[in-house]
Parts: sequence; C-alpha cells; structure tokens
Amino acid sequence: MTDLAAVAAPIAPVDTTRNKIAVRDLDFHYHDFHAVRKIRMDIPERRVTAIIGPSGCGKSTLLRVFNRIYSIYPKQRAEGDVLLDGENILDPGYSLNRLRSQVGMVFQKPVPFPMTIYENVAYGIRHHEVLSRARMDERVEQALRAAALWDEVKDKLKRSALGLSGGQQQRLCIARGIALRPQVLLLDEPTSALDPIATGRIEQLIEELKKDYTIVIVTHNMQQAARVSDFTAFMYMGELIEFGDTEKIFTKPDKQQTEDYITGRFG
Amino acid sequence: MPTAIAIETICRRNAADALHDKLFRGVLRVCALLVLAALLGAALSTLWGGREVLFGDGWHFLTSAQWNPVENRYGAWAPIYGTLVTSCIAILIAVPLSFGIALFLTEIAPLWLRTPVATAIELLAAIPSIIYGMWGLFVFVPFMANHIDPLLDSSLGRLPLVGALFRGPPLGLGLLTAGIVLAIMIVPFISSVMREVFQTVPARLKESAYALGSTTWEVVWDIILPYTRQAVIGGIFLGLGRALGETMAVTFVLGNAYDFSTSLLMPGTSISSSIANEFNEAVGLHRSALIALGFLLFVVTFVVLLIARWMLRSLKRKEGNA
Repeated sequence: MTDLAAVAAPIAPVDTTRNKIAVRDLDFHYHDFHAVRKIRMDIPERRVTAIIGPSGCGKSTLLRVFNRIYSIYPKQRAEGDVLLDGENILDPGYSLNRLRSQVGMVFQKPVPFPMTIYENVAYGIRHHEVLSRARMDERVEQALRAAALWDEVKDKLKRSALGLSGGQQQRLCIARGIALRPQVLLLDEPTSALDPIATGRIEQLIEELKKDYTIVIVTHNMQQAARVSDFTAFMYMGELIEFGDTEKIFTKPDKQQTEDYITGRFG
Repeated sequence: MPTAIAIETICRRNAADALHDKLFRGVLRVCALLVLAALLGAALSTLWGGREVLFGDGWHFLTSAQWNPVENRYGAWAPIYGTLVTSCIAILIAVPLSFGIALFLTEIAPLWLRTPVATAIELLAAIPSIIYGMWGLFVFVPFMANHIDPLLDSSLGRLPLVGALFRGPPLGLGLLTAGIVLAIMIVPFISSVMREVFQTVPARLKESAYALGSTTWEVVWDIILPYTRQAVIGGIFLGLGRALGETMAVTFVLGNAYDFSTSLLMPGTSISSSIANEFNEAVGLHRSALIALGFLLFVVTFVVLLIARWMLRSLKRKEGNA
C-alpha cells in the first residue's frame, strides 16, 4: 500500500518511520459543543505519541475517535477522516469489529471485568476468534507476559481480577488489550490512578510495547510525556497547536502557547 | 493569644460524648431487634395457632390435597401447589420482561424517553392489588377464555408430556391467568430495581468491553449482569416474595377450587387466597388449618430466600472470589 497519508501530511514528523494513523480535518461534536477542531496530524508506526494539553482541550476526545468508542453514545459525532493504514475508519462501512481488534484501548482507571483473571484476558479474544483450550491458554499467557504480569498472577488465574492491586489491574487491562493482537494501543491517562511505583512499571512496559505496537498516550503528566514518548502533540481548546519530536517540543517549541504550557505558565 | 481549653472541660466533654454514643447505639439496636421480634412473634403465633392441624395428624396436612371443612379434614397441598405454580409463572414472565424494560431504559432508549417511562412503571407499582384483581376478573379472564385458553388447548395442549399442562376447558379463571396477573403486578418492582442497579455500572466498564469489540448484548450479558448480579437477584426475589404473598388479585382470578389438577388452565387455590376466602366462617379446626397455612407461607418464603442466598454464593464461587 502506498502511503498517501505521509505524502499529504504538511506537518509530518522528521523521521523515516511509516505513518500508522493519519488524521485529516477532524471535527468532533458533543451534541452542540464543538470539542475538537480541524485536527491534522500523523501518528508514526511503532512509536509512542503523547497528546498533552490542559483539561478539556480535547485530547481524550481525540483518542476516543481512534477506536470509535464515542459511537456508543447518542449525539456524539466525528467529521473528517482518520486513516488507519490508509483506510478511513470513520467510514460507516469500516467494520467496527475489525477496528476494535486493531486498535486496543486502556482507560484512566483500571477496569477489570467482574470475572477471573484468566477470563478477563480470554474475554476479548473469544469475541473475535474461536480457539482450542490449549491455544487459548497460550494466548492468555502471551498477553500476560507481554504486559509484565504473568509472574505475579500465574498461580491465581482462576481468582477474581478484582482482588489485584491497582497497578496489577491496569497491567491486566493492557494485557486484555494486547491479547487481541492489535496494531495500535490507545492509553487514556493510564497511570493517573496509580502510585509512583506502579506508574514506573507501566512506563517501563510502554517502552517495551512500542517495539510491536503503535502507541498513543494521553497524559496530564508532562514529565511522563517527556519520558515515554517519541512524539508529542500539544492541544489547546480543541485545536492542535503543535506536533513534533518530543525533545523539540520540550526544549524549543515553535509556538509561544506550547512553551507557556510546558513551562507551567498556564494550564 | 487564646488560652487552651481547660482540661476539666475536655474530660466532661468526653464523658458526655461517650454517653451519647452509647445511647445512640442502644436505640439502633432496639430498632433492629424490633424487626426480629416481630418476625419471630408472627412465626411462633402462626405455629401455635396451627398446631392442631400441623401436628395432629402426622404429615397428613402437608401431603393431602383434600380440603373439606364439612368433614373437618384438611390438607394443604392444593394451596401450596397453587402458590408455587402461580408465583413460578409470574417470575418466568416477569423476569425477562423486566430485564428488557430495564435494559431498554438504561442502555438504548433516547434520553427524553427514559424518565417518563420509568415514572410510568413506578406508578404501575402503586396501583392497589384489588384493582388488578378486578381488572383481571372483568377484562382479562374473558380475554383468556375467549382467545388464549382455546389457542393453548389446541396447540401446546397436543404435545406429549407438557401438553397436560395446557389442556382444559376455556374457563379463563385458573392458575395461568393468576400467574399472568401476578407477573404484571411484579414487573414494576423487578424492573425498577434492575433499572436502578444497571445505572450504577460505571461507564468505563462498559466502554472497555465495547473497546474489545463486544456487542451490546455481550456487554449486557457478560459485564452488566455479573456486575449487578447481587442486586438483580435481590430484585427478583423481592418480586417473588410479593407474588407468593399476593392475596386479592389472585383470589379474584384463581377460581378457588381445591381440586388438584395438573392443567394450568384449571382453577386452583393459593395459600393467601384460601385464607382470605374462608377466615370469616372458620371456627375450631378449620381456623387452625388456616393459621397453619399462614405458617406454611412463612416457611415457603423462607425457603425461597435460602435458595436465593445459595444461588448467590454458588455464582460467586464460579467467578473465583469465594
């Protein structure tokens, strides 16, 4: 597939990596509130892209467009194009099952399902694939290993996931997401409810995961964005102010607004 | 500079606080004990009042279906059977219906429709049971007699085994009719409990299931129901408790016959409707038999609650947090 998106991108990152997601003139409305305005950005493959900005700037909203999770609510609508490998996922013809098996999501607070640890991971796989018992065991183990949780839970797979600590629960949610073998992983402030040690483990995990996945992370924590991401997008009032190399954004951003936010002058 | 509070003042304050706390705890304890006392009192007095029949003739009272005030022979099987069957029918109809209503109102209905429909359902719960009974007798019984009974008799009635349940003359009155009226009466209870608890499911839990590709049905069945299981079962048993004890509506449409019959289309009787029909002219052993029936209703309700507890526990074990 030729990468039309990369060619057309005016603000493509200065990097030779392929673009995974291309956002083109995206607008988002909650009922009559215009939350995201005319966003254009490219998200490179197998890199970590952080979206930062003050509360209410639309960064979570943008993330929620990438797997169309907003569509379960009436009166929320997105206009424009979001190309995943060149195909527009906002096209009603784009299968929701396909999208959600390709784009996994982890939410702010850990949300284990009220089931056993094993079932939490197997649950999503079951929706998409029919596997033998042995294959399923293998997949669950792989996912838990990839999420750096296997050693802690391998002896209690049949216990309720609600008994895990917050950090473990969040890694379980990551395992649940990558069990589907997606290409993109969306992380919506994944550590905002965790203590510093659990946060550190998740950040380490993100570093590991970017070898295989394209990761988009929304975060309130600017140090976190600086630590884990390769690229950073700064949003303000529903608009994308600046997008580029994380290092550049955090050292010498082009826009005054970005610099003000980074240095803590507002937000 | 303000002076520190005198040490005696603090001590006095401490003593007063301790006394208040003690009093408050005592009052709360009395409130809770009152419930126990009322329950125990009712159970024991019905047991005492019905002792002649309950213990007079071995197991006869429980196993016999014969109820004959003229010969003073009493068997409770027909009312017990009628109570259990009508309540079962009611639950079988009301649970899926309430589930559907509650889900529609929390997950699917447009926002403007939710509150009016929920209010309407709660109003339905406020209708006195005698109105349901009257409606059942004057409107629903003829409808059953003219349309549903003949239809069941000529369709399901021809099946082997289960056919026996649906064979019979189109009387309109009967166990099935009573069960359906009961179902209508308990739907508001069950569905409003379900609706309330479905609303407590955190949006992020549902979203994470949707994010894995789940359909609405999968989210409901695998996430919402397990999450709210305890309250949902509680709501169902609240409805069941009401169905078991319901008197007036059932008395109107059940037919009040002590003839034991396998067919759901035939008239029957229930514990509470027997009591309501006969307490007026009951003396001596007859009176004792009715009070014993009351005690049996206690036992039945208690057993049902035990089953609910047991179900919850086994469900919990299956989920791995026993």
